[in-house]
Order: sequence, then C-alpha cells, then structure tokens
Amino acid sequence: MKLLVTGSSIRGLPVVSIAEGEDVAEVRDIIYHAEAGAVVGFTLNKRGMLAGRLKQGLPIEQVHAVGRDAVMIDDGSQLVAPEDAPEAVGSPETERDVIGNDVLTESGVSVGAVTDVVVLAGRGGQVVGYQIKLPGGGEGYIPLPVQLAVSGAALVVPDVTRDFVCNDLVGLGAAVDEFRARLGIA
Amino acid sequence: MAAQGRKVISRASAEELGSVSHLVLDSDNRRIALVVVGKRRKARVVSWEDLSGFGADAVMVSQDEALREPQDDREQAAAMGDLELLGRRALSDLGNELGKIDDVVFDPDSGALESLVVGEDERPAGSLLGAGSYAVVVRADGAESAPRQWQS
Repeated sequence: MKLLVTGSSIRGLPVVSIAEGEDVAEVRDIIYHAEAGAVVGFTLNKRGMLAGRLKQGLPIEQVHAVGRDAVMIDDGSQLVAPEDAPEAVGSPETERDVIGNDVLTESGVSVGAVTDVVVLAGRGGQVVGYQIKLPGGGEGYIPLPVQLAVSGAALVVPDVTRDFVCNDLVGLGAAVDEFRARLGIA
Repeated sequence: MAAQGRKVISRASAEELGSVSHLVLDSDNRRIALVVVGKRRKARVVSWEDLSGFGADAVMVSQDEALREPQDDREQAAAMGDLELLGRRALSDLGNELGKIDDVVFDPDSGALESLVVGEDERPAGSLLGAGSYAVVVRADGAESAPRQWQS
C-alpha cells in the first residue's frame, strides 16, 4: 500500500521545518513536469491570513517528504531565491498544465479528462496517477507509467490503462504496482 | 509531566517565587532547557542548570536571581507560551499528523527527555527531531509508511 495525495490537497499545506518545528511557508502551487512524471517543486505563499506570495520557491530535491498534513523540509535554508532556483522551478509559467487534457489510449479511446494529479507521498514527488473525469460522468483514478507522451492537448497512455481505472485513491494505491508490473516496469 | 502549577521556591530565601507554567524542550539535546514561571507578560524563566532540584512538591532554585527575564527570541517565545509542549501538534517527518502531545516524560534529576506521549503512543526521546511553535516533529515509525487510514 502506498500513501497517495492529490495535487489539490497539497495546495495550502504548511511547509514545516523539521529542525525548528516551525511552519515557514505554505504551498501555493505544485510545479509538475508531465514528461518526467514528477513534481519538480512548489511555489509558496507566506503563512497566515492575507499573507501574499513568497518570492522563494521549493525545489523537490530540497523536500524531505510530502505528507498528508505537511510538506517537510530539514530547515528554513531549503527555500531558494528565484535567481538560485533550477530553471523548472524558477519559471513555473513555462510548465505545461495537464489539467483538462484528454487522456487517450494508444488505440485511440478516451479514458477521460485530467482533473488532478496524484502524487506518491514521501520523497521525490513522483506522480503515479491522475484523477480523471470519466467519459460517462463521475470521477475516477488511473495509474500512470513512469513516462508518457504529452502534447498541449492530450496524453497518451497504454491500452491496458482501461483495466486499471479505480474509484478512489485507496484502489489506485493498490493498482499502481500491478499496472506497472503488467507493463514490465519496475 | 504534571509540573504545571508546581511552586518555585528559592533555596536561599525560602521565598515562593511563583508557580510553573510550562517547560520548554531543547530538541537538539533532547532535554528540558527552560522552566517558564508565571504567564504571558509577567512570565519569568529559569534555565534548567539553575535549578537545584525538580521535586514532586516544589521546584527549587539556588537563589532568587535564577528567576530572570526572558532574553533571546526563543526565550521570549517560550515566555509567551508559544513553545508549550502539551497540546502541541505532533507531526512525523513524513508530514503526517500523529495527534497532540499529551505528556512529556523526563528524568527530574538530569532534565533528560525520556519519551513523548501522543495519544495511545509513547515515542522514545530519540525520535524527537524538532520542537517549535507549529509542531513537535518526530521520526516516523515503521508502521507509518503503510497504514490504510492515511489513504484518503
């Protein structure tokens, strides 16, 4: 079993320094690179009511763990100024947004439209699935291979994905390994 | 740590200097660093080193001067109650809330932390990673990487 969290549930989480026990920021948005299959970092807000955007960002390499209730960093020095940030984190507007994109199988059948990304908790920010709006209405989850083809308009997934559409995150947690095993990916 | 409300007595003058409001942890060394006496703006602090005894009935200080104004930022925060341990959110280093700190067990002779009680769970002192105004952070135990109730 894996602990999975959706992108929308990560937004707004406090960023907590382990050494100090302080909430140093909160997640404004997640920066996701679909080709890499991973979250590459976070943009941040200041903590507190009416607090604005924080200039610094948080690259995923600096994250100790993404959890259900907080994003953990070792101490406050993990936040990086925009000029020091890796390109992917410093210029999030270049990110290709997958929300709303149609998910097509290799044989051309629509599985649904992406409504959110599903992140494996812990280190690394690996994106293991998408939350999708099913063609027949309703919500579902699909597992993802490690890498996939992405264009501005559509995502192409293996045909076998259709056998692994899950109703909830618990189901997806169990399905990811089996799905990848079926595709022959470790 | 039913230390709250315990009298603080000067050994030199036998005067009662106040009563314990709460204790503050040094998470690097995993020991009690500071005793906060009185509340809020009237709060004073005593360093653990300046205690001559942490007894069941009273906390003894060697002299009246041991009770002092908070000095640096951390002591100010402690005096204002921002670092009080009991009731503080307990967070694992994996970013999952474990509950609240219900008790803090320490050696009254050395001030060394023995364990943190979080609900039904007792976490050994060695699992403590940091303590601040937002949370007390402890190392996740083996069970945490898997359990079903965290799948939401």
